[in-house]
Amino acid sequence: MELKENLGVSTSLHSDSQNTTVAASETELINGSHAVMRSLLAEGVDTIFGYPGGAIMPVYDALYDYQDQLNHILVRHEQGAGHAAEGYARMSGKVGVCLVTSGPGATNLVTAIADAIIDSTPMVCVIGQVAKHLLGTDAFQETDVMGVTMPITKWNYQVTSADEIPEVMAKAFYIAKSGRPGPVLIDITKSAQIEMMTKPFVYKPCTSMVSYRPRLVPKQEQLEKAAELINAAKKPFLFVGHGVKISGAEKALEAFLEKTGIPCASTLLGLSSIAVDHPLYMGWLGMHGNYGTNVLTNECDLIIGVGLRFDDRVTGDVSRYAKQAKIVHVDIDPSEIDKVVKADAPVIGDARVVLEMLLPLVKEGSHSEWIAEFDKYAQMEDAQITQPELAATSEKIKMAEVVRSLSDKTKGQAVIVADVGQHQMMAARYYQFKRPNSFITSGGLGTMGFALPAAFGAKVGDPSRDVYTFIGDGCFQMTIQELGTIAQSKLPVKIIILNNNFLGMVRQWQQLFHQKRYSFVELENPDFIAISKGFGIDGHRCTKREELSDSLDQLIASDKPYVLEVLVEKEENVFPMVPAGACVSDIRLK
Amino acid sequence: MSNTSPTAAGTLYTICVFTENTIGLLNKITILFSRRRINIESLTVSESERKGVSRFTIVIHHTSREEVEKLVRQIRKIIEVLAVFGYLNEEIAYNEIAMFKISTLSGAKPLDVEVINKIYKAWVVYWGLDYVVIEKTGTLEEIFDFFNYIKPYGILEFVRSGRVAVSKSSKSLSDYLPETEWEYYL
Repeated sequence: MELKENLGVSTSLHSDSQNTTVAASETELINGSHAVMRSLLAEGVDTIFGYPGGAIMPVYDALYDYQDQLNHILVRHEQGAGHAAEGYARMSGKVGVCLVTSGPGATNLVTAIADAIIDSTPMVCVIGQVAKHLLGTDAFQETDVMGVTMPITKWNYQVTSADEIPEVMAKAFYIAKSGRPGPVLIDITKSAQIEMMTKPFVYKPCTSMVSYRPRLVPKQEQLEKAAELINAAKKPFLFVGHGVKISGAEKALEAFLEKTGIPCASTLLGLSSIAVDHPLYMGWLGMHGNYGTNVLTNECDLIIGVGLRFDDRVTGDVSRYAKQAKIVHVDIDPSEIDKVVKADAPVIGDARVVLEMLLPLVKEGSHSEWIAEFDKYAQMEDAQITQPELAATSEKIKMAEVVRSLSDKTKGQAVIVADVGQHQMMAARYYQFKRPNSFITSGGLGTMGFALPAAFGAKVGDPSRDVYTFIGDGCFQMTIQELGTIAQSKLPVKIIILNNNFLGMVRQWQQLFHQKRYSFVELENPDFIAISKGFGIDGHRCTKREELSDSLDQLIASDKPYVLEVLVEKEENVFPMVPAGACVSDIRLK
Repeated sequence: MSNTSPTAAGTLYTICVFTENTIGLLNKITILFSRRRINIESLTVSESERKGVSRFTIVIHHTSREEVEKLVRQIRKIIEVLAVFGYLNEEIAYNEIAMFKISTLSGAKPLDVEVINKIYKAWVVYWGLDYVVIEKTGTLEEIFDFFNYIKPYGILEFVRSGRVAVSKSSKSLSDYLPETEWEYYL
């Protein structure tokens, strides 16, 4: 390597990267690939999910020198890398990092990127690209990844010179994790990976940008307007969205609820932000949410939406959604305000900061009569749905029993990763979350196959937590190859397959809305346990109710990854349900 | 102002977007329109008075002001976008430029340059052997008034630019984008 005079420029390298034996000294020139590695270290990255290939080989070559500092996890398919990075990010609160090659490597990652943007998940995807002189020539494994990912990234950028790398990487991490988090994609040409930087590597973390200024602290007048509505409300109802978890607002939320006595409900991604046994927690919202929370959405006089985007699965028919209520909408993303529902008092800011600043402005209170209305509906739901499902005498096991049994055995303290479909809704309904940041699922995109890699990523993100994943037999076969990643890592990810030999949610819709015309929803499944064992992961199948408890104990006790397949009722339906296009108060109990 | 497209309905909006000058930004902006099935009537991009800051002027038709406001907020969300403003026609001074290539073959009707200059405020900018190029600046109506006048002379080619517009507010770009710091624009 060519040496260059130190020009006396003060360096702001992160301490991590200075301690390395392999890192270039401040005067030595390094190539683009090493600059990528040193940028990752400077950002405090210790874990990467990736898959090598032609156009990213120089970076993988550099990675060889950094194996002691960067834990690279080799997935089995790039989509798995993406979902694992999402699970990692959502568990750890850090940015998930993916490293994949050009063309098919990048396009395989696309589903996970789309998933990450809609669920506000911080992720930096470093993608190889063909050499600069080959761009636009239909070179081997060339895809216009910039064009493909433009609508599904928070930011994307193509690097064509090594000198750009430190600044672009710093921006990438800042953008991914600040404001409303999201995925950032950096497309690096092979030539930029290989070429030498022309100046010494200096890494300055990005802390602000001219064109991008997320507002954390809300405007005072917005807070005052919100507080005025809150203090005047007779039947206020607070909605807990994903933003509460992202901003770490759980404590601030509890303080706010306890001072005001306002009852709350959670969106799917808001679950676990408040303990289910909290006296002010009324349940969850939306299509398969609770009975009372949906019905009373159309009877409250004020909605305080904290960090949610009023997704159509929450609102049902918007034209008949909470028309009687005023709306306070707290969100860090100004484009969410008035997007779906018109806010009477928008508050732009970070959920935690907003709740903390609102606290002194709101009056102490209690709403016992109002809360009693929720109790009335909760009792109806309990008698008509919950108890019959939990005390089922059917021949086959019901999903609800499996989830609730695990919930009891883990005392509501585990991390639950749910895939997409009926089992997801059952996991959300029946697991009794008592600890924050305990539920990870693909909410916005509804990506089947999310759970297996995401559960693995979550376990990597916080090995101290017990991670259980509920997966349907359809979903499991979408990313089943990641059993190999889990086996190789030996991390004790606990996998529960709820097998009904159906694409259950689609079947439910076909039953209810398409006169039982079951169009391509029945699956002839492989032997999942044999497959798991083939991957080197132990497991067993549970077919009888009386074996369920012991089966779960065995799963819980394992100190290795473990697969428990439970054969469940073939044609059970998830209720309550707000049929698509109906209004929330038309929720059906059967 | 009349509709620029016979099928388009609704009000005309002029959206001014100030951005950093980076590759691919045009795509990042236009995909927001296509995703919402909003057709772009005209689009003009150039560097603003500030070096490195591009100015987009985008004209659309829309029946819902609310939807246009949502679109403006989505454009603002693009990382490289500095500021976005949506205007109604009465809030801006605006113009387009058009060029006409008119045949002057022998036997053709002779051009009346005096009428072209004095009545239509249009100028001959290029004399070819058997044609001239006339430039006309103005609103869409003014351009089409002239179009109708000149048509009998034989139009070989006709082209209109996109709209350029400045707001009628007395604020300057620096009020929104001061050199150092500025308030987050909502």
